[in-house]
Amino acid sequence: MLSVRDVTTAYRGLVAISGVSIEVAKGEIVCVAGANGAGKSTLLKSIAGAERPRGGSVTFDGVRIDGLAQHLITAHGIAFVPENRRLFPRLSVRDNLRLGSYLHRGAADREAPLRLVFELFPRLSERLAQRAETLSGGEQQMLAISRALMTRPRLLMLDEPSQGIMPKLVDEIFAAVKRIRDAGMTVLIVEQRMAECLDIADRAYILQTGRVLMQDTAAAIKVDPDVRKAYLGL
Amino acid sequence: MTAETIIQSLASGLLMGLLYGLIAAGLALIFGLMDVVNFAHGEFLMIAMYATFFLFAFFALDPLLAAPLVAASLFVLGAMVYLLVVRFAMRAKANAGMVQIFSTFGLAIVMRGLAQYFFTPDYRSVTHSWLGGKTVSVAGVFLPEPQLVGALVSIAAFAALYFFIHRTDFGRALEATREDAGAVALVGIDKNRVFALGWGLGAALVGLAGAIMATFFYIYPDVGASFALIAYVTVALGGFGSVFGAFAGGIIVGLVEAATALALPPSLKSIGIYAVYLLVVFIRPRGLFGSI
Repeated sequence: MLSVRDVTTAYRGLVAISGVSIEVAKGEIVCVAGANGAGKSTLLKSIAGAERPRGGSVTFDGVRIDGLAQHLITAHGIAFVPENRRLFPRLSVRDNLRLGSYLHRGAADREAPLRLVFELFPRLSERLAQRAETLSGGEQQMLAISRALMTRPRLLMLDEPSQGIMPKLVDEIFAAVKRIRDAGMTVLIVEQRMAECLDIADRAYILQTGRVLMQDTAAAIKVDPDVRKAYLGL
Repeated sequence: MTAETIIQSLASGLLMGLLYGLIAAGLALIFGLMDVVNFAHGEFLMIAMYATFFLFAFFALDPLLAAPLVAASLFVLGAMVYLLVVRFAMRAKANAGMVQIFSTFGLAIVMRGLAQYFFTPDYRSVTHSWLGGKTVSVAGVFLPEPQLVGALVSIAAFAALYFFIHRTDFGRALEATREDAGAVALVGIDKNRVFALGWGLGAALVGLAGAIMATFFYIYPDVGASFALIAYVTVALGGFGSVFGAFAGGIIVGLVEAATALALPPSLKSIGIYAVYLLVVFIRPRGLFGSI
C-alpha cells in the first residue's frame, strides 16, 4: 500500500534520514522505533508532505505522492497525527472534529466516522463543547487521532502518540490503534516506547541515525538479543 | 448647546461609526487570519469608490445597485493581491515582518500613483443618487440617508460575516487557519486558498463601504489615506484581529469623533479619536476586545 524507497530528507542542509526504504501493506500495523534523533519523525513528515524529500520516492496505492502539497496527500487518504498534535486550540472539540471531515463536507454521511470515534474514546463525546486547549494531554491525543479519523484515511500515521500522557491513557491509546486497524485501516506508528509498540505491531523497523538498522516481524524483533539489550533495557 | 444638538450629532456619529466599522472589518479579518497588516487597505477603499463612480458615470448605475458589483470586484482584487504579492512576501526567510509591511505599503503607493495617472487627481463625486443629499427624520432627529443606509449595510454585513464564520465550513476553515495555518493541511485544507479567500472577503467588505461612501464623499486618489488611518485606530481599539471588535471599535470612534466635534473647534475634530486610542493603548494594549 505504502512504499517508501530510498528517501533522503534534510533540514537546513543537515541530513535527517538518508536512503530510507520501508513498505507498509494494507491492514498492517507497522512500528518504526529508534532513539531520539534517529529520524523517525522526519520519515513520517516526508511521507505526509510536511517535509519535502530531497531524493527517493513515496508511492501510495500506486500513486507517487512525494512532492505533492501536504493537503493533497491528506486528500489522497493518508492522515497524519504529528508529535505536537496540532489541534486548533481555541476551537471546540466539536469544531475540531468537524474540520476533520472538511474534505467530505458535501457528503450526507460526513459524520459517519464519529461512531468509531466515540466508540474508541467515549470521553470525547462528553467534551464536545469544550475548547480543545482545555483537554488533558491524553484527551488531546485522542482528539488528534479522532480528527485524523474524520478525514477517512486508508493509512493513519501516528508520531509518538504516547508522549506526555499518563500511563493509563497510553494503554487506552494503544488499544485504540488495534481497534482502528480492525476497522479496516492501516497504521504506521512511530514510538519511543518500543515494548508497547511491538506488542500491537505486525512488523517493525528500527532506525538509527537516519538509516534503517533492522526490519522484521514485531515478534522477531522483540526477541532479538541486540534489540533487547540496546532498546528494551533487558 | 441644546440636548437636541447633542442627540443629533451623536446619532450621526453612531451612523458614521458603523461605517467606520465596516471599513475596518477587512483589515481586522486579514490581520487576524495571518498577522499581516494591509497597508493598502485605504487604497482598496479608494478603488471601490472610483469603481462606484465610474459605474455611475458610464452606466448611470446607482451606487446602491453598484455595491454588490463593487464588492465582488474588490473580492477578486483582494484575492489577486494575496496570490500575486503577499504570498511571495510571506516567503521571505529573513525580516518577514518588514517585507510584508513594505510590500503592502509599496502596493498602496503604486495603486495611488496609478489612480493619479489614469483617473487624474481631480475630485469626483456621484452627483445624484437615490440616497445622496437626502435626510430622514426619526423622532425629530435628522439622519442623512447615505449614512443611515451605510449603517444598515454595515450591520447586515457584520451579521452575514458572523453567520459565515460560525456556521459554514469555509468559515470554520478560516478560524482554523487563523489558529494554526500550519495545521490545516492535516485535514486537507489548502491554507493558500483560505488566505486568498480571507483577502478577497476583507477587500469585499471595504468595497461595500466604498460604494456607500461614494454617495456622500469626494473621490480622489488620496481619499483612502485618512480613512485608512481611522481604520487602523478602529482595529487597534477593537482589538487587533478581532473582526467583531472592529464593529464595536467603529462605533466608539464614530461617537468620540462626534463628541469631539461638539466640544472643540472643527479643525480639532480628529483629536478625540487619537486621545481615546492612546488611552486604550496605555490601559489595555491588546485593545478592548482583543484576546491576546
